[in-house]
Order: sequence, then structure tokens, then C-alpha cells
Amino acid sequence: MTGRALDWLLALAGGVLLTLMTQSNAVLARHTDALYASWAAHGLGAVVALLLVLALARRKPAPTHGAQDGGGAPLWYYLGGIPGALVVVLSAVAVNSELALAGTIALMLTGQMVFGTFSDHLGLLHTPRRRITATDLAGAGCVLAGSVLIVLGGA
Amino acid sequence: MLFFVILALVNGVLIGASRAINGRLSTRTGAFRASVWNHVVGFAFLTAVLLVLRTWPDLTDVPVAAYAGGVFGALFVAVNSHVFPRLGTMSATLLVISGQVLSAVVIDCVQQRTLPAPIRLAGVALVLLGLSLPRVKARLRQKELRRCPTEEK
Repeated sequence: MTGRALDWLLALAGGVLLTLMTQSNAVLARHTDALYASWAAHGLGAVVALLLVLALARRKPAPTHGAQDGGGAPLWYYLGGIPGALVVVLSAVAVNSELALAGTIALMLTGQMVFGTFSDHLGLLHTPRRRITATDLAGAGCVLAGSVLIVLGGA
Repeated sequence: MLFFVILALVNGVLIGASRAINGRLSTRTGAFRASVWNHVVGFAFLTAVLLVLRTWPDLTDVPVAAYAGGVFGALFVAVNSHVFPRLGTMSATLLVISGQVLSAVVIDCVQQRTLPAPIRLAGVALVLLGLSLPRVKARLRQKELRRCPTEEK
């Protein structure tokens, strides 16, 4: 298998993990509330991730993939958890509006896709710039439309 | 209403930004350490929010299995941080979302023991079409390139 195909499969597998995570967290949130569920999941996740580092990745790897300068990572590289956690709080607000769960998820997927396109096109957040072709846009449009149908169809 | 629409869209942007930043961090520290940082920083942030809002739910009769989300989350952020810088933000976003919605359809099918609604099947077809588009295009182009030299003879 080529490295690219493996990355593809890993990314798809990441999506599967995300579904499992969302399902568990939803059960927890039903028994408690959204904020507590996310707080507990982050705390447990930190412990599990630390165990994974100890078990699988004791040695720090050499910088790869576009880590140009040899210096330390800028502070904001470490703060990705903040927008991630903020989403929990904000989406709880959106879900309780007229949008409901399906509408909120559909719009969040749209926001992600738009961000991905602009981020690659402009090279935002130190990511390498990539030219976005018409085919890329058509493909993204199909995936987005299909995802929205799946989300709304399950509501 | 418009406010909530914008709020939900911004939420999507925040998710994308969070995953892209974790991906950047993984190029320096490795994917597993990026997952640790994501969870520790997110936990600290949510602890602050909890302290400000002073809400604490009733924790009796919470099934232990409901806490499994933390395990999936730790694995997800590691996998995600590994692939984001390698595939680019757009492709990685597309693939993760595809894996997410397709597996949701399969899991619902298994749990409810019914076939998905037609609208969901149409959605699955569209997602698969969208994922294969760039590959189909690349193959067509290769064919054209191969044909060209013979035509010149």
C-alpha cells in the first residue's frame, strides 16, 4: 500500500472514531449535561493520550512535514484544544435554537469544508498552500451535499 | 435565527482550525503528544468555564460505558493530527467527514436493524461520488496523455 492510500484509510478511520466518540459523549451528555460530558471526555482523553505516549511514542520524533525552522514550536501550536473545547459550549447554544441538532451539524460541516478550502488556498495557520482545482471543489460539494442529506435524513 | 446560523458556521471553522493547529503541532511533537496537548489544554479551558458558570450535574446512575468517549477522542486526535499535515486541510477534512457520516449510517443500520431511508442512501452515494471524483479525473487525464503520442505518429 502506498503511503498516500494509507493516509486516506487513516483519515476515514479517524471519522469512524469520531462517530464512536460522538455517540458515547451523547450518552454521557444525556445523563448529565453537554459541558460536563465534554469536560470529563477531555480529562479522560488526556490520561489515555498520555498512556499512549508512554506505551507507543516514548521518543520524541524528529520534526517532519513542513516544520521548516529548527526552533521550538510557537505557543499557539499548543492551543488547538481551546477552539475544540469552545465548540462544545457554542454548539450547545446552537442545538437549543430552532436549528436543532441536525441543522447545527449540517452548518458545522459546511463551516469545516469552507475553512478547509480557504486554509489550503491561502496557506492559513502555517499549512502549506495548495492550489484548489475545480474538481476539488466539485468533489467537496458532493461530499458536503451527501453529508447534509445523511444528517437531515437521520433526524 | 441568522445569529444561530452564523454561530453554527463559526463552530465548523473552529473545528477546522483546532484540527489544523493540532496537525501543525504533530509535525513538531508527533501525533500522540499533540493529542495530549489538545486534551490537557481543552480540559483546562473547560474547567475554567465550569468554574465561571458554576454548574455541576447530578452524577448518580451514569453508565461507566458513557465515559468511553474519552478513549475514542484521544485516539481520534492522534490519527487526525497525523493525517492533517500529510493530506492537506481540505482533503483531510473531506475524508474525516466522509468516514464520520458513512459510519453513522452503518451504526444506525446495525442498531435499529433497518435499512437506511432513501434520502440517506442518496447521501451515501453523493459522498462516495465526491470522494472518487478527483481519482476519476486523474485516471481520465492519464488515458489522454497515453493516447496523445500515438496520435502524433
